[in-house]
Amino acid sequence: MAATKVPEVRDITRIERIGAHSHIRGLGLDDALEPRQVSQGMVGQLASRRAAGVILEMIKDGHIAGRAVLIAGQPGTGKTAIAMGIAQSLGPDTPFTALAGSEIFSLEMSKTEALSQAFRKAIGVTIKEETEIIEGEVVEIQIDRPATGTGAKVGKLTLKTTEMETIYDLGNKMIDSLSKEKVQAGDVITIDKATGKITKLGRSFTRARDYDAMGAQTKFVQCPEGELQKRKEVVHTVSLHEIDVINSRTQGFLALFSGDTGEIKSEVREQINAKVCEWREEGKAEIIPGVLFIDEVHMLDMECFSFLNRALESDLSPVLIMATNRGITRIRGTNYQSPHGIPIDLLDRLLIIATSPYTEKETRQILKIRCEEEDVELSEEAHTVLTRIGMETSLRYAIQLISTAGLVCRKRKGTEVQVEDIKRVYSLFLDEARSSQYMKEYQDSFLFNETQTASMDTS
Amino acid sequence: MCAFIYLFILAGCVKRVLASFMCVSSRSLWLRADSGSGPHESMAVQNWIDVLKSSQKTALIHDGKRKIHYLFADGKEMAEEYDLKTDELLCRKWRQKSTLGVPGVWQVEVGEPMNLPAALESDVIKENCSNPLFMRKDTKSSFQWRIRNLPYPKDVFSVSLAPSERCIIIKTTNKKYYKKFSVPDLDRSELPLDASALSYAHANNTLIVSYQKPKEIVALEQELLKEVKKLKGTSEADVDCKTQ
Repeated sequence: MAATKVPEVRDITRIERIGAHSHIRGLGLDDALEPRQVSQGMVGQLASRRAAGVILEMIKDGHIAGRAVLIAGQPGTGKTAIAMGIAQSLGPDTPFTALAGSEIFSLEMSKTEALSQAFRKAIGVTIKEETEIIEGEVVEIQIDRPATGTGAKVGKLTLKTTEMETIYDLGNKMIDSLSKEKVQAGDVITIDKATGKITKLGRSFTRARDYDAMGAQTKFVQCPEGELQKRKEVVHTVSLHEIDVINSRTQGFLALFSGDTGEIKSEVREQINAKVCEWREEGKAEIIPGVLFIDEVHMLDMECFSFLNRALESDLSPVLIMATNRGITRIRGTNYQSPHGIPIDLLDRLLIIATSPYTEKETRQILKIRCEEEDVELSEEAHTVLTRIGMETSLRYAIQLISTAGLVCRKRKGTEVQVEDIKRVYSLFLDEARSSQYMKEYQDSFLFNETQTASMDTS
Repeated sequence: MCAFIYLFILAGCVKRVLASFMCVSSRSLWLRADSGSGPHESMAVQNWIDVLKSSQKTALIHDGKRKIHYLFADGKEMAEEYDLKTDELLCRKWRQKSTLGVPGVWQVEVGEPMNLPAALESDVIKENCSNPLFMRKDTKSSFQWRIRNLPYPKDVFSVSLAPSERCIIIKTTNKKYYKKFSVPDLDRSELPLDASALSYAHANNTLIVSYQKPKEIVALEQELLKEVKKLKGTSEADVDCKTQ
């Protein structure tokens, strides 16, 4: 829930780790939904990106509920990248829930319950609520640090309006966020009493002559009037699932933090649906249908697929995006074969976007983007060699070699990855094809080699 | 086809006109209640009595106090405590769930403000204990508010009524304290505010603001007390609370 979010002081030194798709910043489309060849971290896949752009517009409109899209293609052709691109372009206000097909299998929760929860996490509700805020001009701020350097800090903050003055005691978190916001005497601030969020409104007019020089963006405001504590209406977005959890039991609000939400009764859900519809009609709340992305959708079984069929018909349903890399295969939980491992009746309701393998030029481009993302300098020849490896083995393997080659290069105190570094890691780490080759040659000396006749069951 | 569209527009218009008419009529009622004369006034008092009567009540006698818990149809909860000997109202507090269903905290209307566990709240902001402390403490004949920790001379304070906003305003000339508060009892019964009923005194660093209870309120409270005494209250603490 947005209201309970505690301001994170750690933000100052946040370390971002580089993930497989952290270079994706959007779909790379222009205003007319025409894809640019290389943009926002996306390369190639022009047709599928254009298709995704159309879906994106549909989601942004927010009128269509319960549509489903399938992104199908070979491994390493950018299916997840396209989904991430959609998520990035939607921005933080539209709920985007991503899960892998195998996540729903749990002993604590039934498959359909897990799916319903995922569906409801992807529907946002913006709602107005009253909160108590403190608004005033800072008269004095005093922070005492203990002499030993460790232990709790003690602070006092004096705030005033044109009519009154109050002294507040500050907790540790409050002191941290006040110093992070660089609040000083003469600033006009608001503090959300429940969450402790501080907003600087500007400097008071009475302090306009304190300094000779001012920053260009220094804003001057009047000292607030009346009482220090006010009630104010704020708008925040919560997901339907969060409302479910809050109302599912008496101590439900705490369950959000401990993570133990368990199964939610269908009566609770029905009540909440009715309530939300009522709020919408009264203009109190707005429903934002978001996106539910299920990766590796072939991992779902027959029961899940029939549940999806029904769930998509509800008018409180998000846009469902699925991705799979399977061809014609067995539907999990049955003995029937079907394209993508998805039953025909569900396939019939889907818009299918196909991705195609990357060309050599595109592979080269993607590798370049990944090098920038991972901060690795690549010489021209090494780049060519790596592209070659990418084409002959797989794009993912080539991307793996970037960071490893970068490390090897750094160990020999080089600044730019050379062909030798690539060769070195290529010999150190096997790709899938070479590993299989090795298995075939030496299978007799491996343990349990008698099981080699049984084919792997992955569907 | 055309006829259908016309019908739709017509229906829409009628609905809008009706809505605006209803809006106007309710506002005029409110104005009349504000100006403070006519038969409507006693009707509002009666309304509040009816709301109280229709609520689910649980009574309990404990610790020399008669404790009553009210649960109203809209989900609001009210808890009252009366002194067993003097029948004085010691405490009245309200609790309501937020729009999303999060259980709220008790809001004290009458009586000592509750002391929140300090250790749990140490991370956020709270008023220093040297600040003025506002609380309401009624007597039989008047509403009374006490503000402690106000070490200023009496002539610093000014207490006035703002009938348009239906509240009482306390101001200080040294700009140290300012408070604007309403009288919920009068609001519930839609009774007017009367400047002549208001008085204030200052002694021992405490400002006491009194407001003479109108006769309607006195009558209502007596009736309520009679009603409350009729409730079968047990003297044991582990009474089975139907309303919880």
